[in-house]
Formats: sequence, C-alpha cells, structure tokens
Amino acid sequence: MTENMKNKAIPNSKWLRRMADAEDLCTSVAVGGLAQDLGMFQSAVAEVPKVFGRLIEYARRERGLSVEALANAANVELAEIVAIETEHDTVPQPRTVYQLAQVLKLPAPRLTELAGLAQPRKVLSEAAVRFAARSEPMSKLSDDEKEAFEEFVKVLVEASDGG
Amino acid sequence: MSQSTVNILRRADDQEVVATLRDGIKPEDLAAIEREWGPYRAKIKQELVRLGIDKRTWPQSLHWDWSKKGPELKLLESSGFIIEFEGATQGIMLTKTASYVSRLEGGKPLVYIDYLESAPWNWNVQELQRKGEFRGVGSVLFYVAVLQSEQEGFRGRVGLHALPQAESFYAGKECRMTKLGLDANKQNLPYYELSRKEAQEHLSDGGEK
Repeated sequence: MTENMKNKAIPNSKWLRRMADAEDLCTSVAVGGLAQDLGMFQSAVAEVPKVFGRLIEYARRERGLSVEALANAANVELAEIVAIETEHDTVPQPRTVYQLAQVLKLPAPRLTELAGLAQPRKVLSEAAVRFAARSEPMSKLSDDEKEAFEEFVKVLVEASDGG
Repeated sequence: MSQSTVNILRRADDQEVVATLRDGIKPEDLAAIEREWGPYRAKIKQELVRLGIDKRTWPQSLHWDWSKKGPELKLLESSGFIIEFEGATQGIMLTKTASYVSRLEGGKPLVYIDYLESAPWNWNVQELQRKGEFRGVGSVLFYVAVLQSEQEGFRGRVGLHALPQAESFYAGKECRMTKLGLDANKQNLPYYELSRKEAQEHLSDGGEK
C-alpha cells in the first residue's frame, strides 16, 4: 500500500508541521484498543490489594540492595523490576516471581498469589490489606513501615508453613 | 514486506529527516520492539518515581509491556507499519480492516487503528521537562492509516480508541476526528472516527505538492 508514497514527500511539509505542532500538545498520541483487549489496563486479580511491588521494594531495601543489584542477583531484566516496583498493575512472569523469592528469601507460592498469578488464600488477602494500609513508598523504611513489613512477612511464612 | 520513505521532524534542529516506512509488520513483532523501547520506558518511570510525580500524570502507556504477550500477539490478525530512522523504531501502528465498521457513517467499512504509539524517546513528558526527539511520528502513521483506508476503498474512514492523554490531538482542529463517546466495551476509552469528508481533506492537504 505504500507504493504510491515512494519517492514522494507524502505527507508534505506543510501538513506534517501543522500536525506535528498539534501532536506536540500531547504527551503522546497513543491508541489503546489492542492494549485494552489484551488486559493491559488492569491486573488479572483485582480483588487483592496490589502490594506485590511494594513488598518487593521493601524486601530489597531492607536487604540494602539497589534495583540493579536485585536485577543482577535474580537474573531478571532491570526494566521488569522497575515495572514491578513502580507500576502496581504489572503482573510479573512466574519465573521472575520464583527468582525474586529465592534472592529475597520469601516463600515463592505465596508471592505467586500476591503477584496475581494464583488465587490468594484469605489470610494472605487480609494481611495484604493491612500492609497496604500501613506502607508508603519512601527512600528509607520508617520504624512503622519496617514493623508492617516484618508482620506481613511473618504471615507469608506462617501461611506457607500451614500448607 | 515493503518499504518507502516518509519525512519526520528532528526537534534538535527543526529539520525534516527522511525515515523509512515499513509495512507487513505483525503483532508478534511488538515483542522485539519492546526490547528496544522497554529500557527507555524504565528510565522514564525511574525518573518520575525519583521526583515523586503523581502517577495520575504519568504517560498512560508507560506500563505497557508487549514482551509478555507473545502467545496472544501471535493469534491477532492486525497488520501494520513502523517508521524507522537511524536503525531505531520511531513509531508503530497496527490496523484492522475487517473487524470494525463505521458508527458515524452507517456501518460502512473503515480502517480501525488497533495500536499506535511513538517511541518513548519521542514522548513529551512535561513533568520531566522532556520533549520528544522526533516530531510528527504519530501524525505520519495516522496519515498512513487514512491512505490505507482510501486504498482499501473505504474512502479514508478511520476509527480508533484513544488514550485520554491523546484526546486533544485526535479531537483537535488539525486531526478533526469525531468523538463518539466512551466505549463501555473498551473500559470506557473514548472512541473516535474520521469521516469520509475529513479524510479527503487530509489526503488533499497532505498529498503531493
């Protein structure tokens, strides 16, 4: 279909500049039908508080790891870790969850539930709500956030011990 | 796959540069493009987080990651176009010619733009005082859709679901699309159509001079 565009300045300069000026008033001109069809606007498990990213961020910081260091240790793409921590709608790959669980010493099956890859058990959902209510993204964990994190991890471990 | 040339605008010196337009792009090619774009998306995210920018103002396609959609992309029937310059994908568009009909003009056929996005380095992220490197990439792709519609015999009619941040472009006096409301079947994304009349004006204004 591009045959008649060959060797021609189509669209022409005048049109291009006028349209580009209009385009410049927007962040981007993204069209979203396909992304919506593929469920990229929300997590597959909407009823669970989206605390997976924050939990990963807290666990990383509590262990004194940078994002890059965690990505290297877990052999996961840096961009995926950034997406997990900053975009709470992100549903990570199962392999990523397993690798993060290994490095951060957290129970992989429970992390899988929190990540939206499996239906979470009730006790986990309740703990996630409490954690979501008490935690904020910050550069350094406050005492209260540290306590919230520790309590949440305790539930994760207990839920795993209980099967 | 075939290719031709199109001009886009380089912001640094306000010059038109000759880029390559390729067609025959398939949805599964998005995964490869994501490997190119993903690190830039991540950089923008990191900077927005570092500065504590309210998430409601972030670019609305920032979290898209096509690399995770491989099997689903293979099943799609869209086909599309990319604009390349200096070895980098500056923008992409996927279109459908059979799945949608015009709501504006009584069920007549149209080209539906399933996906259109410029590369993250071409975004204008106001909160970061960041302007895109190349201008007009989305506009040229939009023109290609109008041209495709004309060549399919659809008289230039085009439909799309815009992201809210892009609405002022599609609804504006230059693009001249008609808003047909929020689409409940698409998570209330606004649906826009370009009428036959407006399409013909674009083809006339943008054509060979």
